[in-house]
Amino acid sequence: MSRIARTAPAGIALALAVTLSACGSSGGDVAADEKQTLTVWAMGAEGEKLADVAEVYEKANPNITVKVTPIGWDVAHQKLVSAAAAGTLPDVAQMGGSYLGEFAELGVLEPVDTEVFDKKDFFPAGWEQGEVDGTAYGVPWYVDTRVLYYRTDLAEKAGVTKAPADWKGLKDLAGAYQEKAGTKWGLSIQPSGLDTVQNFYSFLYSAGGEIVNDKGEAVIDSPEAVKALKEYGSYFDEGLSNKSVQPGYDVVKDFGNGRVPMFFGGPWHVTLLDEGQPQIKGKWAIANVPADASSTSMAGGSSLVVSKDSEHKAAATEFITYLTDTEGQADWYERTKDLPANTSAWESGALADDADLQIFKKQMDTAKSSPSLANWTEITDKVDQAIAKVTQGKASAEDALKTAQSEIEGLVKQ
Amino acid sequence: MSTTTEKARGPRKAGAAPSPAPGGSRGRTPSMGVQNAAGWLFSTPFLVLFTVFMAFPILATLVMSFTDFGLRNVTRPWEANFIGFENYVNLFGDEKFLKSLFNTGYFVVVGVPLTIGIGLVVAVLLNNGIDRARTFFRVGLYAPVVTTIVAVAVVWRFVLDPSDGLIAGLFSEVGWTAPDFLGSEALAMPSLIVMAVWRNVGTVMVLFIAGLQAIPTEVREAAKLDGAGVWQEFRSITVPLLRPTLLYATVITTIGYLNVFEEPFVMTQGGPSDSTLTVSLNMYREGFNFFHMGYASAMAYVLFVVIMGITVLQLRLLKDNTK
Repeated sequence: MSRIARTAPAGIALALAVTLSACGSSGGDVAADEKQTLTVWAMGAEGEKLADVAEVYEKANPNITVKVTPIGWDVAHQKLVSAAAAGTLPDVAQMGGSYLGEFAELGVLEPVDTEVFDKKDFFPAGWEQGEVDGTAYGVPWYVDTRVLYYRTDLAEKAGVTKAPADWKGLKDLAGAYQEKAGTKWGLSIQPSGLDTVQNFYSFLYSAGGEIVNDKGEAVIDSPEAVKALKEYGSYFDEGLSNKSVQPGYDVVKDFGNGRVPMFFGGPWHVTLLDEGQPQIKGKWAIANVPADASSTSMAGGSSLVVSKDSEHKAAATEFITYLTDTEGQADWYERTKDLPANTSAWESGALADDADLQIFKKQMDTAKSSPSLANWTEITDKVDQAIAKVTQGKASAEDALKTAQSEIEGLVKQ
Repeated sequence: MSTTTEKARGPRKAGAAPSPAPGGSRGRTPSMGVQNAAGWLFSTPFLVLFTVFMAFPILATLVMSFTDFGLRNVTRPWEANFIGFENYVNLFGDEKFLKSLFNTGYFVVVGVPLTIGIGLVVAVLLNNGIDRARTFFRVGLYAPVVTTIVAVAVVWRFVLDPSDGLIAGLFSEVGWTAPDFLGSEALAMPSLIVMAVWRNVGTVMVLFIAGLQAIPTEVREAAKLDGAGVWQEFRSITVPLLRPTLLYATVITTIGYLNVFEEPFVMTQGGPSDSTLTVSLNMYREGFNFFHMGYASAMAYVLFVVIMGITVLQLRLLKDNTK
């Protein structure tokens, strides 16, 4: 029964077909030491690299066959949703922080066994990403956060030798780059379009603002948020940032040719710059997000989740333990340069010695993750719209955020 | 004549009647039952595919449009509530939807005449005007049709890029600053229309060339003998005889443009400030980004009714004129 019911509606996640599949699954759990195959989905580059790790794991645990399926990020969300609908989720899946709220709402995730995984071992923001309504559904696998990338050679030309530490320093440097070093723009931040909010987080969180607070209330019209959006908007008013919306814009090239001397980037930008723009090697540096009330950046990354329907939960837990313990995390960093979510992994090797990595670590210690709400995409869309209104000079920060506030209030109440 | 047929039939009938032996029945066509079965058998692949991928989703969408189907209902569809026409009522108070409806209308009203007009002119030129390198031009103009939208987007982003794009380069040659095509609310939609026209002229052109070649040469020759000029021939011969093709091309182009999704999806994501948000893109975002499946389904049905209305209207208006 279960097989047919599971595969039949796989293609389309539609109402009636799904009704059938709900009665699929379940059945006895297989013990960890029995012979079994573990299915794992991972995205993008991680999917490719995880297959190598799985081979190593299989050698040490001959009773387990790990079948890793790499999935492109562009189709990941869609595939996961249709698999959830059809009851065909893999035993273990990688999930971005923004997905967890949704899938917890779908009721397809197994809560994390907190006897095995300890919150204390991970960056707080990494762990919180996997938490929905106080229950953890995802074990943090790797983390990322945004820091400030800036051109040191051009800063020298502009007469600046230190990284900007606060908002004033950031704006002064942006101006100096333009005036004295002849760059086209001062700072690259997004004026509007999808996920503009990711650029805005560095300002919002540093000012002490939030979109939705711990109690689940919308607070995007707080004085802190208004202050942050005013600051964000001023870069466009003063011509320091490009007002033009360029979908699919990749800042790396413009950073390389000096048109853009500063941007907020994640750890992956280090590799992108080293490989794509070798001519500026040694001519740029990273620094912590310029502070207002604090220097707080956004936290991102991925967690590992276990499907509620999985019959291999015991083995899945062991495999995830292998991936997220100190050794596994250090090994994973060597392979992918993804930042370990487990803080103990940072205590040796390159992770402990590299100055750049320490900047990421420092940023990560205070980084904030977005609440895992099912309709988070919709909520941030309202913030995106508010940002667009301000950067296009159509509304004041106060008015734009007041509108966003009332819209988000309607969304969090649901 | 009729007698011979009867005679010819006679012996067979006689032979078949007394004994339903194999020899007798062999001469007959297979019985209706077998014929039907074969018919059904051959239609099965289509029927199955049609039911699974067309009829069922269409019906499910209709049912869904009367519910508050949301994210949680993806795994628990039975928890969706029937809310009658609430989604439909809400749609018409939804500024964003009305804006997307307006944007789609703008796209159609400007885009369709341009596509049909340019397609017709190009087809006529390629059919009689240009003798050399005709194939080259035909292929060249058709190439955009078969190119994937992602590749097209890369090219057009380069063309329209306000800082170092093709047009910006030409502008700076003469000392002007290029406008910010995709970043400006006033110019984003026209830019997408130009792109869509460029992509679709090829399809229309092929239709028109086929239509033009179906016009008998005698008619043209007769017109020439009567002293018709190029323009007169175009007006009095080409256009009237092309009318069925024109009707078809207009209807499919209109339907295509009412559904426009790819251009804003890859180029602007509906921005800046929803100025290029079309109904299809809005529907996609409501359904798959925000999981308002019920609401998105209602949108789909409103769009369906609009498309059907406009198509019926076009068929009436354009067809009656041919008589």
